[in-house]
Amino acid sequence: MAKILIPTPLRQFTGKQDSVTAKGATVREVLDALTTQHPELRKQIFTDEGKLRSFVNVYLNDEDIRYLSKDATATADGDTISLVPSIAGGSTTAAPPEEVTLSKDEILRYSRHLIIPEVGIEGQKKLKAAKVLLVGTGGLGAPLGLYLAAAGIGKIGLVDFDVVDFTNLQRQVIHSTADVGRNKIDSAAEKMLGINPHLVIAKHEVALTSENALDILKDYDYVVDGTDNFPTRYLVNDACVLLGKPNVYGSIFRFEGQSTVFAYEGGPCYRCLYPEPPPPGLVPSCAEGGVLGILPGTIGLIQATETVKLILGIGEPLVGRLLLYDALGMRFRELKLRKNPECPICGDHRTITKLIDYHQFCGVPQPGEAPAAAQETKVNEGEIDVREVKEKLDRGDNFVLIDVREPHEHQICNIPAAKLIPLGTVAQRLNELDPEADIVIHCKSGMRSAKACGILRGAGFKHVRNMKGGILAWSDQVDPSVPKY
Amino acid sequence: MIRIETEPWQVMVAHARRTYPNECCGAMLGTIDGDGKNVREAIALDNAFEGAQAARYELRPEDLLKADKAARDRGMDLIGIYHSHPDCDAYFSTTDLQNSCPWYSFVVLSIQKGEFHHANSWLPNVDQTVADKEELTY
Repeated sequence: MAKILIPTPLRQFTGKQDSVTAKGATVREVLDALTTQHPELRKQIFTDEGKLRSFVNVYLNDEDIRYLSKDATATADGDTISLVPSIAGGSTTAAPPEEVTLSKDEILRYSRHLIIPEVGIEGQKKLKAAKVLLVGTGGLGAPLGLYLAAAGIGKIGLVDFDVVDFTNLQRQVIHSTADVGRNKIDSAAEKMLGINPHLVIAKHEVALTSENALDILKDYDYVVDGTDNFPTRYLVNDACVLLGKPNVYGSIFRFEGQSTVFAYEGGPCYRCLYPEPPPPGLVPSCAEGGVLGILPGTIGLIQATETVKLILGIGEPLVGRLLLYDALGMRFRELKLRKNPECPICGDHRTITKLIDYHQFCGVPQPGEAPAAAQETKVNEGEIDVREVKEKLDRGDNFVLIDVREPHEHQICNIPAAKLIPLGTVAQRLNELDPEADIVIHCKSGMRSAKACGILRGAGFKHVRNMKGGILAWSDQVDPSVPKY
Repeated sequence: MIRIETEPWQVMVAHARRTYPNECCGAMLGTIDGDGKNVREAIALDNAFEGAQAARYELRPEDLLKADKAARDRGMDLIGIYHSHPDCDAYFSTTDLQNSCPWYSFVVLSIQKGEFHHANSWLPNVDQTVADKEELTY
């Protein structure tokens, strides 16, 4: 015989008794006996399928049975069983919509969802009630936007301030050739609404910054990170942690991708995995390193799947696991991710309590500054303008032009007079060069050549200059027949 | 309907202001007479959510068990749970609903810019799909 303490509100079902005794060898048997004696209690404690309701914790004396043998925990005479509600909450999600209903058109549209028991009408209503923010409408954002729109998410926010260009079309399938030159956000919204006119789209045509991030994110239930740079990735992570919103993460490079869900229900965050950003320039972006066009499709759709699972509350979320995808080997691997108790933003002793300057944190220049500077004609010391290089070539000046790009880039386009010495081999090949010579170095846009200049100067080379803007500037200002990539 | 006496009300508001910009949570003890609930004591409890607490709270079941015991010892009942919504209205969010329990009144205090703004009481259903608004006086 065990004694069950009855919480006040349930005493209406036990004839006002505040405790009831019932027989049984296990907790489950005692609770079954209790609900046989007082059938009205059953609905309060068990679901229709006979499982304990999610809000019911059962304590045997002072111990939570989840840490014993669950409902198979043995009971003895004189034991006390308490029913303790499990309660949590928070303002993370907005007020539940008054009434989400599905029209006849919507029921037809979503019929292949509705006939899956795990989704059904209730699930489809959850999707319609959900508000999802997509940060970026590029490689990852393209499949995310198309499929989340089709799946019936009620409201999708888009953050992007970029313009579609020709180099996007190889992978950003939400934009078409006719969209080149258009704002990405308009192009993406048009395709998404074309697929699903029931969708509400909020356009945030801004760069996400420390000043506006909390304000933009706060109206959404889920944030999906489709960005390709470290400052924004840390910003999205920190804002999600501070607001308690799940961050569905993905990243891609050449043939490899990663995905996981950060900051979900107290799980690990991006900073638990990477407390510090890599040094600037170490990890190339897609623009610098390239990416298989199909890859963001695979990774973006893993993010979309996780988003939909979180909304529906089904399956096993990709939390505490980093999924690694290798397209060349066609293999998936999983790494266990743990919450770092020393994490500066989600650990036990938080040192970051508000958003910081992420460009400074990642050691990269502010967006806006760099392109603006590149536009200027001002040439800094140690640099040389592309037109001046052209004049030197035309005059037949005695100087050495070095291309520090990779051989496969050299095949795409090159300046015939240039000698190819890929950046990684510069240090070993210094003996091929004369330290007294007049040397000009170029790459694609000027970043790698700046590093090469540093190596040469450090080795005692006296006349080394960086060709400003690289071969892209050469194509713009000297020889338009040189293709850009 | 639920009525909160002055003293517990002051405890709740002070607690919500103290934890701002994070959420606070606690238990309300009192008596039930028919449909009328009278809150006579508020107990501030720890927010046990293991993450940023600006928009989340979690109660430890052990703490609720203790609050329930305290209520029984003092001839009262555990009748409600309160928590705050910093810089946010006192609605019952989806997160609130999905982690609620139909046995209690849920009082939500809206704290705007660190000051009490308004409050509502909610009664979630057993399936955690809807919460009805309950008349609240304080």
